[in-house]
Amino acid sequence: MSHIHIEVKDLSFSYGQDRKILDRISFTAREKDAIGIIGANGAGKSTLLKLLVGLLDGFEGSIRVEEIPVEKRTLQRVREKIGYVFQDADNQLFSVNVYDDVAFGPRNYGLPEEEVDRRVRKALARVHLEGFDEKPVHRLSGGEKKLVSIATILSMTPDILLMDEPSAALDPRNRRNLIRILGEFDHLKILTSHDLDFIWDTCSRVLVLHQGGILYDGDPDTILRDEKTLAMVGLELPLSLTVR
Amino acid sequence: MSRISGAIHEMQTIEESASRDQWVNRLHPLVKFLVTLFYLVCVVSCGRYDLPRVLGLALYPFVLFELTDLPLGQALCRLRLVLPLVCIVGIFNPLLDRRPGAELLGFTLTLGLLSMLTLMAKGILTVLASYLLVATTPVEGLCAAMRMVHIPRMIVVEFLLIWRYLSLFMNEVQKTTEAYRLRAPGQKGIAMKYWGSLMGSMLLRSIDRAGEVYEAMCLRGFTGDFPSGRFPGAGRRDLVYLAGFGAGILFLRLFPVLVLIGSIVAR
Repeated sequence: MSHIHIEVKDLSFSYGQDRKILDRISFTAREKDAIGIIGANGAGKSTLLKLLVGLLDGFEGSIRVEEIPVEKRTLQRVREKIGYVFQDADNQLFSVNVYDDVAFGPRNYGLPEEEVDRRVRKALARVHLEGFDEKPVHRLSGGEKKLVSIATILSMTPDILLMDEPSAALDPRNRRNLIRILGEFDHLKILTSHDLDFIWDTCSRVLVLHQGGILYDGDPDTILRDEKTLAMVGLELPLSLTVR
Repeated sequence: MSRISGAIHEMQTIEESASRDQWVNRLHPLVKFLVTLFYLVCVVSCGRYDLPRVLGLALYPFVLFELTDLPLGQALCRLRLVLPLVCIVGIFNPLLDRRPGAELLGFTLTLGLLSMLTLMAKGILTVLASYLLVATTPVEGLCAAMRMVHIPRMIVVEFLLIWRYLSLFMNEVQKTTEAYRLRAPGQKGIAMKYWGSLMGSMLLRSIDRAGEVYEAMCLRGFTGDFPSGRFPGAGRRDLVYLAGFGAGILFLRLFPVLVLIGSIVAR
């Protein structure tokens, strides 16, 4: 059995006094898992990802990342292990050119400039954006921005990759490219998406969030063919399964 | 291009110009920061009627514009919002102080006029010098330089975040005004009654986005410090720049070059 990377136990969270977004959910994620989290809008998918990296506090229960409890004093250690790709690449990229943005993380960890340079080139090569290093970020297309935002995370060599709606606003070619890149990342990855075809192509396990809890935790083949359950949580069959 | 798009474009152009691969861009940011700071002190410390000395100090930005290939006209155009404000300072001085101060080509210049022109020149030169610094140094370099001279971390981080926030806010303004224009064709500007709600939503959205940008920075190890690895110690070229331009500026500050040249010509 492979090593447990993330352990969530009885996790509850609500924004202010509102209803609980997450209500006593528990699950574990192992080293090579590729987990897709699906659910309707407002089901708590993005909230769950933000909780895992400590962007939200004030939760009940416990989250452990590689045995480290997620709390204020451990955030830096936790974040060294997890890479988080935001839904909107524009919010993730803030430097003038691609090189500086991809180098931002390694530099903050105090790596020597030669190592930073090696990591930047390797990360850009992994997303097939060699030669983009001097390009101004604001001149990139939406797909290129998404790939650069993944490179900014890969340059930090994380053990775990979290991605919030990675396929949103990607054209078919960039989407295929992203599926290939995710396939090459052989560590734990957790994605949230409404794009069930994308989940089908990239994940080996699916969690369905519904009314604050986990309605289903298992293989994608079963749940993504289950029209009734999907309809109950406000989703539809993947397009590739839809009979026209 | 709308005015907002133009402003965003200009900001991006300045940032791009700061990351060009030119000798002045490659200089250590601390050296450029110190030279600029020294220049600003020299300009500001000139006497209120000491116009010739201030004009002599104009050599520094002009030489630098020439050496860096940055177009002076474009810089003046970009600073068109600030320069009128700078020029307004002291505009009433000629009315308040009519004592004779100097003679130029047979005309008597009053002390009020001299002090107004000196203030204007000081304002323009300080703005141009700051522009040169920003246009040749990436904002991270500037922040690292500020930390190296022990400017408190809180102020430096504030400066960095305001810089980032400005462009996000302008993007939100652009999106909102475009959405408004598309649904109000033929209307000139934004109707007064919508300003409150539009401003509110633009602020809230840009604050949200700024929050995400800050989170993205924190997730990649940003703690408010600027790693020095990217800017190793100053090299010989940096020291030559520091010594050369420092000495030049000091010379211009100590000796009114224009007066010296004038007296030589007059002889």
